[in-house]
Amino acid sequence: MVSRVIEWVDQRFPLTSFVKHDLTEYPTPRNLSYWWNFGFLAGFVLVLQIATGIFLAMYYKPDVNLAFDSVQHIMREVNYGWLLRYIHSTGASAFFVVIYVHMARTLYYASYHKPRELMWWTGQGLMLLIMATAFMGYLLPWGQMSYWGAQVITNLFGVTPFFGDQIVLWLRGDFSVGDATLTRFFALHYLFPFLIFALVGIHLVALHTVKSSNPSGISLADKDNIPFHPYFTLKDFFGLGVYLIVFCAFVFFSPNTFIEPPNNIPANPLMTPAHIEPEWYFLPFYAILRAIPDMLGGVVAMAVSVLIFAILPFADRTSIPGGARYRPIYRAMFFIFLADVLLLGYVGAKPPTGYFVPLGQAATLVYFATFFLLPFVSKAEERWMRARGLPADLQALFQQRPPRDKWNDKGETR
Amino acid sequence: MRSWIIFALCGLALNAGAEEELQLHQAGATTDLPTLERGAETVMTVCLGCHSLKYIRFRELEKLGIAKDKVDGWRGSNPMGTAISSQMPAEAAMASFGKAPPDLSLMAKAREGGPDYIYSYLLGYYNTPEGGLGNHYYPPTKMPDVLGVAGVTDPAQRAELEKKAREVVSFLDWAADPRAQERHTLGYYVIAYLVLLTTLLYFLKRRVWGQLDKT
Ligand code: HEC
Repeated sequence: MVSRVIEWVDQRFPLTSFVKHDLTEYPTPRNLSYWWNFGFLAGFVLVLQIATGIFLAMYYKPDVNLAFDSVQHIMREVNYGWLLRYIHSTGASAFFVVIYVHMARTLYYASYHKPRELMWWTGQGLMLLIMATAFMGYLLPWGQMSYWGAQVITNLFGVTPFFGDQIVLWLRGDFSVGDATLTRFFALHYLFPFLIFALVGIHLVALHTVKSSNPSGISLADKDNIPFHPYFTLKDFFGLGVYLIVFCAFVFFSPNTFIEPPNNIPANPLMTPAHIEPEWYFLPFYAILRAIPDMLGGVVAMAVSVLIFAILPFADRTSIPGGARYRPIYRAMFFIFLADVLLLGYVGAKPPTGYFVPLGQAATLVYFATFFLLPFVSKAEERWMRARGLPADLQALFQQRPPRDKWNDKGETR
Repeated sequence: MRSWIIFALCGLALNAGAEEELQLHQAGATTDLPTLERGAETVMTVCLGCHSLKYIRFRELEKLGIAKDKVDGWRGSNPMGTAISSQMPAEAAMASFGKAPPDLSLMAKAREGGPDYIYSYLLGYYNTPEGGLGNHYYPPTKMPDVLGVAGVTDPAQRAELEKKAREVVSFLDWAADPRAQERHTLGYYVIAYLVLLTTLLYFLKRRVWGQLDKT
């Protein structure tokens, strides 16, 4: 019976061939490490955010007079409302953890190289959409941080030449953050996750065209690719289990880690909190914004700091595969950059006074210098490595590269 | 690059030292029922004179385990489902303090330091040399010294006040998150289940991948 139904569908829709091609038999490099679990985890977090968000929206009221109370109603009176809300609020932070690890893995192994440029750029589009969604979602509880965060961030758009004021007005729907802002942020906060979902689809279509990268950085011979199911379904589920243990520890035992105390005070346009501080996942970019003394310069620097990742497929001019795995200088740059981002995040959480100012400026300089030096460093590094002789395992990899790879003209990494 | 990380950590440590302000006292808030009950008593009879507790309904106090006749005494003729409001109308409060006393239901989560802050604040009153009233933790506060702390020097009396403040803070901590107990109980089951499931998945994964290595 079941097989007849499937057959009926298959005559009209490529169900079985889709499942085989993209899920069960999808060839996957057997040497993927656990760092490759985070793409799947990001997809899981997205679905969980959408699912909990839909239920929260059934009780939430986007109105300046009701929003704060409706969140308390969810927390206190709706059955398991606290669970939905804490999963959702913790999930926002978890999303950024997962996405940032996913990006860091891509950076470490330089997986953005040819042929995966579109993976990298669609991924970056996803990051921007996730940031926008998180920012708008943060307004909805209508606490002090919600309100003042939105006020400060929308204000930044005012530096746009000529149209600044109009853009701010258009974003807020009013001269200051208010009811019109809340309703439009709610509408968009409900819409964007579905745009993200669609873009994830595109990200995956691109992935299944170029196939997964792997720690060696070159495509493996056929025998080293194994079917996705059961090998990677199991590996992903095991990783999901570990992730959920950590996630649930926060949800059940420390959910207020991600809710700033001032956000438990209803928004008050007449009372500015002592420090207005964005959520942790925006802090590095916020530190860059404040590092530049001029407002326009700061906003431009912040925007560039988010977008500049897009140049990496061009800026990293090496032909040595595997990223930091085989390239000592690239590896050093990776860790310096990582430490620098953490430092920026730390500076972003501090008031911009005393030695935090030069510290933030130095860290900003290191941030941008990494990108601007990479084209030269990567070339010089390759010359140096080739002069010294490539490591034996790398040479072996070059040798075993499959002869008729469609990316094989000059080596997969450019 | 390792030195970078160490450098960053040193920065963290240095700064932690530099930023030390007035130390909060540990409130030692508990969830034990008699403490909560005595805390509720003080909040209902003292704090509600000015503050509200609007996200808590009388019914919840009964659900928490406070004796019904006590709750009935506090609610008077109000139905069980009434949200707990202040005895002082907002305008009167504005007139006497120039500031509306904030709602207390979320107070334990709405200040840096949470319960410890409230505890320190309530006990932070002192008589200034000019004969006025000061508070170490919120110097310009408009709230009077409701527990009568300023000027108390007798250690036994002081301990009594600390006990009272601890009860109040424990109750307010419950009020900020009445589902915390339920959340913890459920959390243990969820985590235990996940640990079991993940362990099984780990062994299953190892077995399946082990067969791969043989081929
Ligand atoms: C006589 C009226 C009155 C009584 C009784 C009273 N308060 Fe207050 N309370 C105030 C006022 C007024 C403020 C606002 C103070 C300000 O912000 O300057 C306040 C503020 C507070 C704050 C917030 C302080 C801050 O950091 O903003 C807390 C916490 C607090 N009260 C706790 C209590 C507790 C607990 C009780 C009962 C033991 C209580 N209050 C009884 C009038 C009162």
